[in-house]
Amino acid sequence: MAQVKIEVNHNRCVGAQLCVYFLPGVFTLNANGQSTIIDAAKADAATIIQTAEQCPQCAITITDSSTGEVLFPPADLGF
Amino acid sequence: MNATVLNDDLMAPAVIANPHAYYHNLRNTEKIHWNERWKGWVLTGYKEVVDVLRDAEHFSSDRMGYLEAELTQEEQESIAPIFRILKYWMVFRDPPDHTVLRMLLNKLFTPVAIERYRPMVRKIVQKTLDKVIDSGKMELIHDFAYEVPMSVILELIGAPDLDRDKIKEWSEKIGVFFFIKADEPRRREIACEGINALVEYITPIIEHRREHPGIDLISLLISAEEAGQITYNDVLATCVLLIFGGHETTMNLIANGTLALMQHPEQWEMLSSNPSLLKKGVEELLRFDGSVKSTVRWAKVDWMVGDKLIKQGERLLVSLSGANRDPLQFANPDTLDITRDPNLHVAFAHGIHVCLGASLARLEVEEAFAGLVKRISCPVLQQGTALDYYPSVVHRALKVLPISFQAKI
Repeated sequence: MAQVKIEVNHNRCVGAQLCVYFLPGVFTLNANGQSTIIDAAKADAATIIQTAEQCPQCAITITDSSTGEVLFPPADLGF
Repeated sequence: MNATVLNDDLMAPAVIANPHAYYHNLRNTEKIHWNERWKGWVLTGYKEVVDVLRDAEHFSSDRMGYLEAELTQEEQESIAPIFRILKYWMVFRDPPDHTVLRMLLNKLFTPVAIERYRPMVRKIVQKTLDKVIDSGKMELIHDFAYEVPMSVILELIGAPDLDRDKIKEWSEKIGVFFFIKADEPRRREIACEGINALVEYITPIIEHRREHPGIDLISLLISAEEAGQITYNDVLATCVLLIFGGHETTMNLIANGTLALMQHPEQWEMLSSNPSLLKKGVEELLRFDGSVKSTVRWAKVDWMVGDKLIKQGERLLVSLSGANRDPLQFANPDTLDITRDPNLHVAFAHGIHVCLGASLARLEVEEAFAGLVKRISCPVLQQGTALDYYPSVVHRALKVLPISFQAKI
């Protein structure tokens, strides 16, 4: 899979920390207790997508860095 | 500020009837207020509430541990059945125990995992409305708001034929414990009766499922137990939590949301003519009058919140409803606006204890209102009805909501 870009929407993130629990090398908490990215290259794309799925708020968007295609969340989820 | 001018009676009839006005007054006077009567801090500002909820390092959720420390040996023994179950509830546990259980159960409740139940939920909503639609009236809580989540949770645990009247009765008994109903001297005994009865009822179901596994939530919990990821106590306690937590709060959310829309008929019409607003609309109903008004934390160490020093062991009543109407976070906070965006409310709490069932609740409430606005006109209260709420510090729960409506063709 391709390199991915990870974005955390801070208008949605509630600091549940599931992303940090599952992928501590990629995600961490900022001073507000919300998720932020340390290093998107620390895990493969499939693992990052699986982790983004764990977010109860659907606050994490994963896009393919080269094509810009949104890999998560799926459009039919309505977020 | 002189704290004595504030009314510290959280159960006063006026506070129960209109908590939002009370929280506004408290927030305007003292966002972090020592309530001498409750013997704890009451937080009503959004920032302060969020700071505490997102800080599990300094604030504990170990309700049973703190309660145990307050009780005599004899009192502890008298409520042993409550302890036996509730101390394994994820909501009352701190990391690292909480983390293990949450990472496991979270997978079953993600937005993607829950979305596949939408057709099932939609069908339940339709069937429930079919029964009352022709009469032009219903008691919304009994006939709809209770029926839908109860049917859904029984489907999810793979036991649609369980006796729901009994489950409701026992859940109400367990609820007495959480309602912080200080005026009920037998509240702990009543909760024990409820827990014991529910545990006795579901234990054989768990054992049956162990022999005949399916794809339901109980079977998934048992397979985690058999893989050594969780204990039997976790399985049993989580089943109780799913059944108890799986219907009560969602029921109240549907009722509070219906009432809010009835009081803002233009918003009902907007939702009715534009169902794509459902997702945002549900978030606004959660913010405007959610079903859980507050949650409790305990300071693990001396720690500053805003300008107040919270001492180790002191408890904090974290007002979700207060935060959700804070004008510093939400413009026109007392206005119901189903197009509000962003809307980072705290109705499901924030931080590591954010409601596990949030996605399921959102799905159920979305489908409930999709069904309602499609099939009935904006309802009105039946004549002579007074709005009466259960006296609780925690729950925002109407006793009944009798409505009249016209069925749409």
